[in-house]
Amino acid sequence: MPDERDYPEVQPAQPMPPQHSGEIYDDLQFEVKEGLGDRLMNWIAGLPWWAIILAVVAVAALYSMFTSAAYRDVLRALTDNPQVTTEDLFEVVQIVGEPTMIVGRYVGESQDSVSTVITSLLDDVIDSELVQRAGFLVREDPATITIQTESGRVTIPRQRITTMDPPDAGLGDNVSVEYIERVTVTGTLTARDDKTLTIRTVNEQIETFDTDRILSEETITTPEGEEIVRIEREGLSYQGRLTTLSQTGISLVQEDETPIELRRADVDFLAIPTLTVALNAAAAERTIGPDDEVRIGFIQGTDITRALQELDALDDIPVPLRYGDGTARVALISYADLDALMEAVAAGELDAALYLSGAEDRLAMAEWVENHPDAAVVLPTPPRECQRNCTVTVKLRDDVVEGRVLERTEDTISIQTVAPEFVVIDRDQILENRRTEPGACALNNLRGCNAGIFLTLRVTFIAYGLALLIGLFFGLMRVQKNPILYAFSTLYVEVVRGIPLLVILLYAGFVVSPWLRDNTPLQLSDEWEAVLGLSFGYGAFIAEIFRAGIQSISRGQMEAARSLGMSYPQAMRYVVLPQAVRVVLPPLGNDFIAMLKDSALISVLALPDLLQLGRLYISRTFRAFEGYNTVALLYLLMTLFLSLLVRVIERRTRLPG
Amino acid sequence: MIPQTSTQSTPIIQIQNVHKRFHTLRGTVHALRGVSLDVQPGEVVVIIGPSGSGKSTLLRCINRLETTDSGRIIVDNIPLTGAKNINKVRAEVGMVFQSFNLFPDKTALENITLAQRVVRKRRKAEAEARAHDLLAKVGIPDKADAYPGQLSGGQQQRVAIARALAMDPKIMLFDEPTSALDPEMIKEVLDVMLALAREGMTMVVVSHEMGFARAAADRAVFMDEGLIIEEGEPDVLFSNPTHERTKLFLSKIL
Repeated sequence: MPDERDYPEVQPAQPMPPQHSGEIYDDLQFEVKEGLGDRLMNWIAGLPWWAIILAVVAVAALYSMFTSAAYRDVLRALTDNPQVTTEDLFEVVQIVGEPTMIVGRYVGESQDSVSTVITSLLDDVIDSELVQRAGFLVREDPATITIQTESGRVTIPRQRITTMDPPDAGLGDNVSVEYIERVTVTGTLTARDDKTLTIRTVNEQIETFDTDRILSEETITTPEGEEIVRIEREGLSYQGRLTTLSQTGISLVQEDETPIELRRADVDFLAIPTLTVALNAAAAERTIGPDDEVRIGFIQGTDITRALQELDALDDIPVPLRYGDGTARVALISYADLDALMEAVAAGELDAALYLSGAEDRLAMAEWVENHPDAAVVLPTPPRECQRNCTVTVKLRDDVVEGRVLERTEDTISIQTVAPEFVVIDRDQILENRRTEPGACALNNLRGCNAGIFLTLRVTFIAYGLALLIGLFFGLMRVQKNPILYAFSTLYVEVVRGIPLLVILLYAGFVVSPWLRDNTPLQLSDEWEAVLGLSFGYGAFIAEIFRAGIQSISRGQMEAARSLGMSYPQAMRYVVLPQAVRVVLPPLGNDFIAMLKDSALISVLALPDLLQLGRLYISRTFRAFEGYNTVALLYLLMTLFLSLLVRVIERRTRLPG
Repeated sequence: MIPQTSTQSTPIIQIQNVHKRFHTLRGTVHALRGVSLDVQPGEVVVIIGPSGSGKSTLLRCINRLETTDSGRIIVDNIPLTGAKNINKVRAEVGMVFQSFNLFPDKTALENITLAQRVVRKRRKAEAEARAHDLLAKVGIPDKADAYPGQLSGGQQQRVAIARALAMDPKIMLFDEPTSALDPEMIKEVLDVMLALAREGMTMVVVSHEMGFARAAADRAVFMDEGLIIEEGEPDVLFSNPTHERTKLFLSKIL
């Protein structure tokens, strides 16, 4: 060991007071620079996290209270379902045995007729709410059964059960039950008491029809003193070529070539031309030789050419009419009426009679034969409905309309119908009552809020999270020495930064998404298209922020970490990135706010975001001033609040010393 | 090159004819022009030389913060060129930097425990116990929770030394550890280094602290223009240099 003569004995060093020179000025700066705003910020930044979160909730609550009073309509249109009318909307989820109790949901913007809307809704309700469960029957009483399923016990009112297999199951049996789980009623609450709610489903339209269809008319006065006419009107009749005939519907082409579709349920009666063939009993046995004459009768005025064509279409033509080798002579003889014709057949004057009729008496010949059992007349085949291109007659059911008379002319009458559908629901039967009120959507009813401000916020948050990942990934690649990684990430950054975000969103929506749909199992919703476009577009900016942040950390930090034996990824993860993140927090916060604003662009993908709802509202009401004011105010409130949050985070992550 | 000190075991650091060139926009700088140096276990070597003589580069080559163009460096029997796991070698070689390079976002304690936990996989309690011991050893036991920004330069450098020691290195490299310090703080750092030298730590120190070199070093090395010009016992080298360039340099700093 070396000589220590001229070096003093080494003592453990004493802690030294801080020596840096800036100390005295710190106090001075505090006094000079700290204004009220700074003091407030410092105070906020000093609060614990939970207090800040609590404050955020409080501000949001105050905000929703304030906004529900001001600009009420607009706000609701923006923050709530865009399809509400000006009336308060109640949505009640109801248990009922008969889904037909539900009249329907009126969709304000819909061009469909009320009946169509109701029909589609009914279908929806039945389709979507019918559930099937299997399990052991554990309890039975007159009103309900309880089954133990894999996921728990389910009690089902008997009246809601559509099928039960086996139907006579007893306690302990394994059963499969299909039942109506829930039905939704939407409408305006008109009355309520302890036990029931009465809801008027909004269901109005103007109907105009010819006065000659009126069968009877009476005027009634509602309890509110409103005069309402009640008209029984004749169902419409249509004539045309039958194109389809199914269990549920009838399609016709009218004489003027316009097609028409009718529901079978609306049809009072349908007349299809029917061919009836009657034979003289003796003639039915006779063979026809080449020189024989076949005598066929028909009623004057009926279409015998058509009848013969229909006859040819029969798959088994009765014997005397099988003159098809062309050598037998045919004599067509017309008669004045059915009785004369049939008597001629019975008397043997005719071999056969043909009768083709589309009217109500289309079975008249068959009835005559039935009524004259002694006559020598037989029906070799039952009456046969026309097979091809027949002209049919359809008459719809008579119905009743109620409403206020708007206009009455000699030929027509216009009625504003007020649907009399009041649904009374037992409170016991209500599973849950999703009440939608103006402004309430903001806090207590997020379920239905897939639009407006909520969509904007959700898309922004998800897209920003993804953009952070993309940005970090490419940012790290940008600081690599590997030329391929560097070139690849630089290409991404330069290309994406050089294309307008709007164009990127359109790419995501109309190029990438359809391609994915065609070539992969991925089905991107509109919302995910927007998220994809926003995050991809912003990833490039965030990559540059991360690159700058990483490069701002001195090389000494990396060297120190490496000299301690850390690998490159470890040094990046534990030493460089934590410091870089502090540096980049302010620009990241700015980008978040910028993205929130740029999310307004997603309305090009037909997403009902805040801006899109604002525009819808304005196009409906022409209240551009209020509409855009509210849109701007909502964006402003969000961005101001966020920039405050960014500043608080910035201060809280500031290093001491 | 045989060291003058007694032990004749295998050198823990063997540097053989190392060349290093830096390529910059202005041209190529030949920083090391064939340097050879052996350091025995437990030996303390002080490297002096004018600015740009390549002494820092040589030090950085020893734990491969710089790569070499030719020549061989063998540390603890592991050749650095093409070493599969350079991190393992680095963990055995502690380094103290002129600019401290503490992690500014971590407290003194976290600075010392981080690599122990990440590289040595020590448990938190174990790493912290070691850190507290080391902080006591470097004389600042009460600064565990201070951030680097709250410490003086001398305190920061002592934390940096503790950080390097926490890895239980076999070799410590000091790259001008006191150059960035105010004069009154130099002593506290040198005291720590001197104590370390006395414990038998192998040290390679780039420094112009003649007092420290005389008190602690077994050998002093003078470098200029990428070459080792002269080496010997510090007292001999400082008081009686043989080479002209050494004389010139010493006359300027003494």
